Amino acid sequence: MTGHIKLAGLIAASLVILLPSFTLAQDFKFGISPAEIKIDNLPPGEASEFELTIHNKYEAAHNFTLTIFRPPEEERREGRAEFPDYSWISLSSQEIEVAANSEANVTVTVAIPRQQKWEGEYWETWLGVAAESSDMLAVRLYVRLLVSTSAAIQARANAGLVVGIVVGVILLGCGGYYYFRRKTKPE
Amino acid sequence: MKALITSIMAAIILALVFSLPALCEESESITITMTGVNEISISLDKTQWPLGNVATDMEYITSPAIEWCTLTVEGNCDVNTFIVGEDAEWVDNPSAYKWTLSNDGTNGENVYGLQFRISGDTARGYVPITKTKGEFWPYDGGSSLASGDTKQFGLKLLTPTYFIGGREMRTQITISAVAA
Repeated sequence: MTGHIKLAGLIAASLVILLPSFTLAQDFKFGISPAEIKIDNLPPGEASEFELTIHNKYEAAHNFTLTIFRPPEEERREGRAEFPDYSWISLSSQEIEVAANSEANVTVTVAIPRQQKWEGEYWETWLGVAAESSDMLAVRLYVRLLVSTSAAIQARANAGLVVGIVVGVILLGCGGYYYFRRKTKPE
Repeated sequence: MKALITSIMAAIILALVFSLPALCEESESITITMTGVNEISISLDKTQWPLGNVATDMEYITSPAIEWCTLTVEGNCDVNTFIVGEDAEWVDNPSAYKWTLSNDGTNGENVYGLQFRISGDTARGYVPITKTKGEFWPYDGGSSLASGDTKQFGLKLLTPTYFIGGREMRTQITISAVAA
């Protein structure tokens, strides 16, 4: 009997309070649109931007945090590689407060450095949005961001400009030569 | 003089002829596709499990065991779902003391286990929640959750075989979703 009392005392001494939260359960809802974004033919050296909309469907204002997430290979779309550098993606804000039953936009910019090695690539990354919470269960939603880069479009544009300028310079030179030749010709 | 003006005009026209199509091609090359106006959204009808005091090396199960919380796909796109856990931290000083979340649902000294079970998921039964993102509803066989689908689930906690008593601990389980 004494042994049982001692054991009970030891257990009581080792008790902790885990998650002593007595707030009412909340049916918290939010949504993100669009669920998937595809940017095609983005030339290296160029940037593209789009907006994500966070829909707060709860009766109170909430803070939402945005993160860029590296999806595991098996979760990526077929033929998509890992996004090479997350510093190429910038968010207008990484934390945003959304009023009750309303929505807010976050601008996302994707800028690819001007390097030939980034031409003709197919990448995927995820943008994660979560409502700030200290509850035991939390929800995070991911938006798929699919980016493909174009092959040498910038080079073709430059080639056109260069050809135009060269032709213009040659014609101007010929015209000038012809004009001065006529001007200096003895009457 | 007339020849000079004619040459300049011809040069400008030719330069425009070569460069404008190239510039136009550049400005038309990027396309951004938002997949429809799809909205991704899931909800949980419970976010708290108020356990109160717990003892060492004990198993705690939500009540009802596997129909405790309901996940609903609220958006208008099919989703793949994931679940991930984390270490439990001492609320008063998170960096000073924690319980490590085990990789297999078992427990040990200052190591605790978490498992979940989905109603209707007879193949898997209780599945360990780890610090690595794992499938919530198994979608490997093409069974993603569609808009309007609901899944009921419950949790199981296995406390450490030894821990320092009298400390309030906090952990978080995150359920996430991505377009299927």
